Amino acid sequence: MSLEIESMVRYASPINPAVFPHLTMLLLGIGIFFTAWFFVYEVTSTKVSRHLFKELLLALVAALFSGFGILFLLLWVGIYV
Amino acid sequence: MLPAMAKIQFFAFILLYVASNCISVNVDNISSDVRIKNVDRSIDISSQLVKISSKITFENAGKVPVKQFLLAVEGAAKNNLAFIGARDSNNKDLRLVETTVKGHDNVKFYRVELKEPVNAAASVVITSDAVFSKALLPHPTAITQQEDQLVKYNSNLYFYTPYKVLTQKTTVVLNTKSVESFTKVKPFSQQDGNINYGPYSNIEPFTEKELSLHYKNNSPFLTVTRLERLIEVSHWGNIAIEEIIEIEHSGAKLKGPFSRYDYQQDHHSGPASVRSYKTLLPASASDVYYRDTNGNISTSNMKVKKDSVELDLRPRYPLFGGWRSHYTLGYNVPSYEYLYHSGNEYLLKMRAVDHVFDDMQIDELVTKIILPEGSTNIKINFPFAVTRLPDSLHYTYLDTKGRPVITFKKSNVVENHIQDFQLRYTFPRILMLQEPLLVVGFLYALFLCVIVYVRLDFSIHKPEHLKE
Repeated sequence: MSLEIESMVRYASPINPAVFPHLTMLLLGIGIFFTAWFFVYEVTSTKVSRHLFKELLLALVAALFSGFGILFLLLWVGIYV
Repeated sequence: MLPAMAKIQFFAFILLYVASNCISVNVDNISSDVRIKNVDRSIDISSQLVKISSKITFENAGKVPVKQFLLAVEGAAKNNLAFIGARDSNNKDLRLVETTVKGHDNVKFYRVELKEPVNAAASVVITSDAVFSKALLPHPTAITQQEDQLVKYNSNLYFYTPYKVLTQKTTVVLNTKSVESFTKVKPFSQQDGNINYGPYSNIEPFTEKELSLHYKNNSPFLTVTRLERLIEVSHWGNIAIEEIIEIEHSGAKLKGPFSRYDYQQDHHSGPASVRSYKTLLPASASDVYYRDTNGNISTSNMKVKKDSVELDLRPRYPLFGGWRSHYTLGYNVPSYEYLYHSGNEYLLKMRAVDHVFDDMQIDELVTKIILPEGSTNIKINFPFAVTRLPDSLHYTYLDTKGRPVITFKKSNVVENHIQDFQLRYTFPRILMLQEPLLVVGFLYALFLCVIVYVRLDFSIHKPEHLKE
């Protein structure tokens, strides 16, 4: 089964390339904030005051925002992965 | 008795069927019913290519309708043939099939399949276009910096065909009046930059008579010896195109020294050399780069026009006969210009080769299409016959198992080959998340290492607060 070109629509990026810079700034900003919070928490907390769950949650949020931020940074600078 | 006969007949049919399938090449017969009423031929040899456009009036002199005709290319020219095509009177392209005729092994035949059969005593007009490369030979083969380039062209004075031609005329377009010598067969006339031959009447099939022209031709004789075209599709909305081009001046070789002073001083110096040329890119091209192994070549200009982007490329040094150059040209185009989809089915419709310069000739073209990682069910349709090379994998940023690469090759490519290929593939959209999740996973692993590290104790003495 092969579709005819007439029945197909033009493919555009799911995210408009014009918003790549804004997305990069926003996501990386949030990502860096959580990364900083994570490291500050790691070095200031002691053995007794540390909660593993909070550490894992902070790490996850920081990784998620930084990860997507880095992807859009790559796309912004022209590395179309 | 009867069933046995039927059986034999049945087997005979099967045998015939098998035998007819075994012959892989097409074999045609020359129909004696077909005559050519008139041929109007124009041979354009003003550039480095030979472009022959013939307006042929076929006549069906038989009694049954005819649906196909044969076009023939003589043995001497068939290796130079880069492109052949046929159009009907409405300028619609007709299908051409390569074929052979018994007893004419040295001739290349093409069968033109008409859309509607020609009835008895009726006629049809067809325009055939053929482009030959490397058919103009520099003579002398080496010239000095100041000299003009002279080339020789040898061909057939009569239209080469398997049919009888009642009348024919030929116009040779030279675009110059400085002709050293040319074949003189009456009637002929020379006017402006053209030489007209004919009309000649009642020429028998396969008649060959030498047509020889020796004239000045200073148009750029540039051959792209190898062009590697990379098309990288990204589903983030971009198609990156990169062309690695090896170019050579294939005209008369430079004899003696090259004086940069003379060349700079006098603009008419080096008439046969190539200072610069124009490359046309698609109108949506952006982020254009032009560089070689040394880095960016700054002597280039870009003009954005309404329907194209015009690049004025100037190699690092002028190209004289036998001189070579090598460069890379790349740009981006948005995906919505060439990529279509319906659900997870994608169709890429792009040019197999693009414009390098006017009247270009490419010895070897290699096109590579890099698809996103995870594409499957890849099917490709080519606009012309190519050699498909084995598929491979390409590794770049954020790849795990590699991106599928489709490669194909074609030799002797000219401007008429600027046509679209169609490549279909399936790509599950969810796989686009693979790349960001790879980065997320990597960062998360890094944070986990930190979490583990702070729990390790490398100190050799107990901390103060734990001391009793």
